[in-house]
Amino acid sequence: MSFIAQQDQRLAPLWKAIRSHRFLADTRDGTIPDQTFATWLRQDYLFVEAAIPFIAALIPRAPTQHWGPLAGVISALEKELKLFEERAAQVGVQLRGAPPSFTCHAYVQFLLATAHTRSYAEGYTVLYAAERAYHESWLVVKDGLAPDSPWMPFVENWAGEDFAGYVTYLEGELETLAEAAGPAERVRMAELYRLTLLYEVAFWEMASTAEGWPGVEDDLAPVTQGPNWNPDPSKTLEGAWTHMTQPDPTGEDGT
Amino acid sequence: MSLTERLYEAARPIWDAQLEHPFVKGIGDGSLPPETFKRWVLQDYRYLKEFSRIFAWAVAKAQRLESMGWYAQVLNMTLNTEMALHRSYAARFEITPEELEATVMWPTTRAYTDFLVRTAADGDMSELLAALLPCAWGYLHIGQALADGAPPEDQRYRDWIEQYASDEFAEAGDWLRTELDREARDVTPEKEERLREIFLLSSRYELRFWDMCWNGESW
Repeated sequence: MSFIAQQDQRLAPLWKAIRSHRFLADTRDGTIPDQTFATWLRQDYLFVEAAIPFIAALIPRAPTQHWGPLAGVISALEKELKLFEERAAQVGVQLRGAPPSFTCHAYVQFLLATAHTRSYAEGYTVLYAAERAYHESWLVVKDGLAPDSPWMPFVENWAGEDFAGYVTYLEGELETLAEAAGPAERVRMAELYRLTLLYEVAFWEMASTAEGWPGVEDDLAPVTQGPNWNPDPSKTLEGAWTHMTQPDPTGEDGT
Repeated sequence: MSLTERLYEAARPIWDAQLEHPFVKGIGDGSLPPETFKRWVLQDYRYLKEFSRIFAWAVAKAQRLESMGWYAQVLNMTLNTEMALHRSYAARFEITPEELEATVMWPTTRAYTDFLVRTAADGDMSELLAALLPCAWGYLHIGQALADGAPPEDQRYRDWIEQYASDEFAEAGDWLRTELDREARDVTPEKEERLREIFLLSSRYELRFWDMCWNGESW
């Protein structure tokens, strides 16, 4: 059995917790409270911002054939940030200025600490698990979301074919890294896979409960500008992920 | 007012909340159940292991030879003396070295140590110092406050207070504060804001660490 298949079998309850989270079902059904979705928008924006230095920190230890694809991920993440900005502006949510919730902060530090202190294969495990969790989560939303939903662009991004191809590419590369890893490193990779999924569940939960930072008042700064949902699914990230699965046109990758 | 004094003023509500925390007060008056205190012993062991990595980065990032030597000494002391002391201390609560090593970091411990390690890795010296001071200076602050009160009956809690209120610990705290004030002597307002943010985040994690030990935590 492949490394990922083994982990998926072991971690089936976590995958179920992600796919069945009420945040996704409520988003799909159009019943999610505006403020709840706004919390997610603000916190996930912070997360995507931090994902850029995470990817950048992986590159120095990456095999040369991964340099181009990882640089492409950074470019795609920048486009994702623009998607957030467009969506937030469209519905009147003030995106910037919200302090991170505990879960958002913890997850971001986990990404960066992993990139700085763990092996490349371990860092890549976290990248794969996080991206796949997003793909799987938004597939849940896709299945039944009203076509005029303001969140359709997110579905088109993370549940679209380009992103699916990107996740499949990551999967193949991770399997190769896992095959080359020794038993001890594989154990560490498995643990990081589990932790990433735990953070994914916690992130949806945080968004649903507006968790903030327990014990500290005014942690989520008051946002004076309320949401004003106005569907406009015209903006998409079409093509943002396509280049991930295409060979380097210079033919110099992997050499 | 020096930078570290300004940071202290900014974090004061959080630091005061630590002094008022039932876990901390329970150490001070001896009312904390040992079973609850054991959570701290276990989690702090895992914390200390990660905390030591920061000093390794500090050796690499410090500019002055004197500073490099000081951080190297602290690293050596943490890894080869303090961790052993922690194991001996844990034994007084019937915690074995195997239990310490097998302890799973709870979410707060992991988040805090990931934050420290990440800041040490990708920040400069002033950021690294701003991240670690709320622990090094904060424990001194708590130790000294508790030492001012009547000592608890339980000798294990007395020793805990004595350690963090000790002159050696105070000297280390002073040295780190001086280092940060020197490293950040000509900072821009933007940079000071960044240092303040880091200092407050570590202070929040310190407070949350007591919460975690008081309430228990799980993934």
